[in-house]
Amino acid sequence: MSNTLIKLENIQKIFFTDEVETHALSDITLTIDKGEYVSISGPSGCGKSTLLSLLGLLDASTEGLYQLAEHDVSNISKRERARIRNMEIGFIFQSFNLISDLDVEENIELPLTYRKDLNKAQRKTMVDNALAKVNMSHRAKHFPSQLSGGQQQRIAVARAIAGNPSIILADEPTGNLDSKNAEAVMELLDLLHAEGATICMVTHDPRSAQRAARNIDILDGQVISDKPLSKENKSNTIVAA
Amino acid sequence: MIWQDFKYAIRLLSKKPGFTALTTLVMATGIGLSVYMFTFFHTILFKDLDFKDGASLVMISGSVNGKQDGYRINALDYAEIMRSVKGLKEYGGYNNANVVVSATEGAIRFPAVLAQANIFQLTRTEPILGRSFRSEDEKIGSEKVVVIGFELWQSQFSGGNDVLKQSMRINGEKYNVVGVMPEGYMFPRNAQIWLPLQIDPRLLTRENSTVLRGLAHLEDGVSMAEVNRELSVVMKRIENQHPQTNTGVGAHVTSIPGVGGADGAPVIYTMHTVAVLILLLASINVGNLLLSRALERGKETAIRVALGAPRSRLISQMLWESTIICTLGGMIGFLVMAWGLEVTEPIVATFYADPLAFWWDFGIDSYSVTLFLIILISTIFVTGLLPAWRSTGGDFNAVLRDGTRGAQGKKAGRLNRALVISEIFISMTVLIASAVMVQSAYEQTNRDMGANTENTLVASVLLPEANYDSDAKKAQFTKTLQSRLENSGAIETAMLATSLPGHYSSISKVIIEGKEYGKDSNNSYPSANDIAIMPGSLAKLGVELRQGRYFNNSDDGLEKSTALVSESFAKRHFPQQDAIGQRFRLAKTTKDTLQWVTIVGVVEHTIQGNRDGDAASMPSIYRPLTQTPGKQLTIAMQLSAKANLAVQHLRKVLQGIDSELASYRIETYQASNDRITAPVVFISSLTAIFALAGVVLAASGIYGVMANTISQRTQEIGIKRALGADEERITKEFVFAGVKLLLWGGIPGILAGGFMGFAMAQMFGTSYSALIFMVITMVSIVVATVLVATYLPTKNALRLEPSQALHYE
Ligand SMILES: Nc1ncnc2c1ncn2[C@@H]1O[C@H](COP(=O)(O)OP(=O)(O)OP(=O)(O)O)[C@@H](O)[C@H]1O
Ligand SMILES: [Mg+2]
Repeated sequence: MSNTLIKLENIQKIFFTDEVETHALSDITLTIDKGEYVSISGPSGCGKSTLLSLLGLLDASTEGLYQLAEHDVSNISKRERARIRNMEIGFIFQSFNLISDLDVEENIELPLTYRKDLNKAQRKTMVDNALAKVNMSHRAKHFPSQLSGGQQQRIAVARAIAGNPSIILADEPTGNLDSKNAEAVMELLDLLHAEGATICMVTHDPRSAQRAARNIDILDGQVISDKPLSKENKSNTIVAA
Repeated sequence: MIWQDFKYAIRLLSKKPGFTALTTLVMATGIGLSVYMFTFFHTILFKDLDFKDGASLVMISGSVNGKQDGYRINALDYAEIMRSVKGLKEYGGYNNANVVVSATEGAIRFPAVLAQANIFQLTRTEPILGRSFRSEDEKIGSEKVVVIGFELWQSQFSGGNDVLKQSMRINGEKYNVVGVMPEGYMFPRNAQIWLPLQIDPRLLTRENSTVLRGLAHLEDGVSMAEVNRELSVVMKRIENQHPQTNTGVGAHVTSIPGVGGADGAPVIYTMHTVAVLILLLASINVGNLLLSRALERGKETAIRVALGAPRSRLISQMLWESTIICTLGGMIGFLVMAWGLEVTEPIVATFYADPLAFWWDFGIDSYSVTLFLIILISTIFVTGLLPAWRSTGGDFNAVLRDGTRGAQGKKAGRLNRALVISEIFISMTVLIASAVMVQSAYEQTNRDMGANTENTLVASVLLPEANYDSDAKKAQFTKTLQSRLENSGAIETAMLATSLPGHYSSISKVIIEGKEYGKDSNNSYPSANDIAIMPGSLAKLGVELRQGRYFNNSDDGLEKSTALVSESFAKRHFPQQDAIGQRFRLAKTTKDTLQWVTIVGVVEHTIQGNRDGDAASMPSIYRPLTQTPGKQLTIAMQLSAKANLAVQHLRKVLQGIDSELASYRIETYQASNDRITAPVVFISSLTAIFALAGVVLAASGIYGVMANTISQRTQEIGIKRALGADEERITKEFVFAGVKLLLWGGIPGILAGGFMGFAMAQMFGTSYSALIFMVITMVSIVVATVLVATYLPTKNALRLEPSQALHYE
């Protein structure tokens, strides 16, 4: 069995709005292996979020081939896409995107309720585990509006990992957080990576980017550099922080 | 500052002309329709009469077994009431009558009032010429006098001052004119001839007494309810003393306009409820539209709060918006309503052969203006306070922080749900109630009343008592009239009756030979329409013979006593036997009606008068006019030539027989029948307009709120899809939420609408299967509306890619 989790070939994404074509992504080819920790960086508007949306099946590419775990997912039904998002992918957003009508537990449980293979008790265990992992068990009954930004993002991480996805996609997870809270979230991601999770993270912040093992640089919808980060670099950053 | 807020509100409204026009229109509909409905009924039923002390003027009417259908009161009971009831003063009795006046242009029939002497004093009005009645005028055998109205004085006496030296021929007798009432004066009905009410003391027996309508003033500080309690005590006492005649007989007071409303209560309540609900619906919709606009500006509001704007300023600004919309819409609604009231009068006039009640003056009055202002102010508050409270009461800090995303917040969600639930409730109620009303009207107008009306003219004739004081003379007149009418080219056949099929007839109590009745009360005898008709007429009218024979020459003769009965009569009273050969008599004790009458034939059921419920199923008895002649006759003429030729001929024939004969109410048979159902058709058309407005308001309202709710939740939908919910799941979730709202609003709505519908169906005799069908249809309409209102916006929101939905603002 191959170790490749994600394989993109000649991916293009064009947005058509009011007769204006925006080439958000042009000709992206890359592979990501199981267990990798990849950071994606580049200037604003270069297509990072678009790439992440494609990876997460939140949107479809205009051209190109996308294989996820050796299955072609470029042309599958909407229902199948939803199922894959649910089972295989965990999202962490810059703006947390918790649902304010639901309390912390319910927010985390939400993606699990979309699965047919879990009963109430199993879901409860998974929610509790996730909450424990992000160290938020004491806030289970709170509503999002009663939590700080850092706490909300930790709940969002818990929600992303509760279903044991094969890949975690994070779009500027620390963008709305101060450095202390950002640090806590980054450490959580480190921990998840250490436990074997595949992580794909968009970030502006070079210090956060340094935590990954591989950095992809994008400019104008194209990959301009794709290189592994040295161990020293990483440890240096940790020391510096 | 207030001025600033006002200008700001104007600027906001003019920036969105579509929104402003829509909300104004909705408000105009709501306010216009409800003010119209209230004013309409107020004018007909609830208005104080425009006389000095008019507010304390009441009418005393009788009832039988709780039914108040315009029953008059036995003169003996009335005398007892006058002695015993302390809450009333200035008692006066009267009766309505039609009289024939020999006028310059020939005999004319006029409505008249036979009144006790204080009739004008009751309204605090003096004649402008001559005198009012004196108590001597009430004595039988006294000088015959008449008081006339101003307009009659003008038309018949050219307004001459010597009128008091003149006389009028009324019903073939000479009456001296003793007084002229002021211009426009009419009381207690639309009539201009007042004659003294003379009660023959020999007729004052319980069994067969004169009946009359009572008038009085309430004593100061006494309410109608108190008088009604007194009346029921008195009537109970009479009932105990005279169970034979008075079991079930009651009396009550109402305002004079209110007399007509007593038994129509279910309709009147329903219409008022519908009007209030429409107004509520309009207010909720506008309130919601304003609210969603306020929410769009939520960020702006939050910034203003952060900058230190006091809450009162924010509320004031939002109240201005609703003030402008409601006032603008209200004024448009008021104008349209005023126009509607103007056109109402000619429409309503077609319902009645006689002139309308004199207080039915449809138009804007102080009541409608006051009501309009009250409604306007309430709508301003309802539509303005909702968004003001919601959008300024929220946690502005949370709005600014924008901490959580997607969902719309608990409070807003709850409010939206409450809005949708009330819209569902209201529309369900309004729809069901209106549908039943329309269905009832449809059934009534389409009921077979038993006769053919094609190509037939009808006319009425009233025989002046003085010239036709014996049955023999009346019978002779009837025969002469029929033969002369048919002896012409213009009229193919002529039919004569006291009442034609479809028309109102008098109702009598009958006693079937060999049957046992409750001995203790006359009211236990069964009722039947009591019609006298010319032999041959039933067959010509197309009333089919079911059994036995029609009348023929062998039935001629005042000493004979044969009858036909309707099929319904035979079924009700002789369910097991053959009706032919059975005998009955009228439950009256005067000598001439004591004889038994033999049934010689059974004809198909005819409806006499109202097409609804009990009235429509009332069985009938027919006697030959040659045995029981009447003095008020209806003539039906099947035409062989043009209608105007026939009318000319009719006039000539009548004149030829007697110059004091007046024919009146000449019209087609169809028109005379349509008039009977016209009020029901009018009311149900009105209801249909309300229902239509209700449906449009509710459907657009429900759609608006749902679409809003769902679009506010676009981000939430995006999040859920990112987490793996597929489209089906999301759609199900929203539709399920919609169904939940449907149940919350719909079940009470079905109950409320069903309750009103049931009350009306009972009153109108609408079939229950039709009722159930209507309920199911209307429920389906509302259900479909809600489902469409959830499904379409959901589908819309799902059209976005999840990645776009996530960034939706
Ligand atoms: N739904 C859309 N419709 C049209 N154009 C879009 C859409 N989404 C993104 N774009 C365009 O595609 C390009 C890439 O956008 P994207 O959001 O991926 O940038 P980004 O690299 O994430 O930038 P940032 O660092 O500011 O978040 C931009 O030029 C953007 O304007
Ligand atoms: Mg981005």
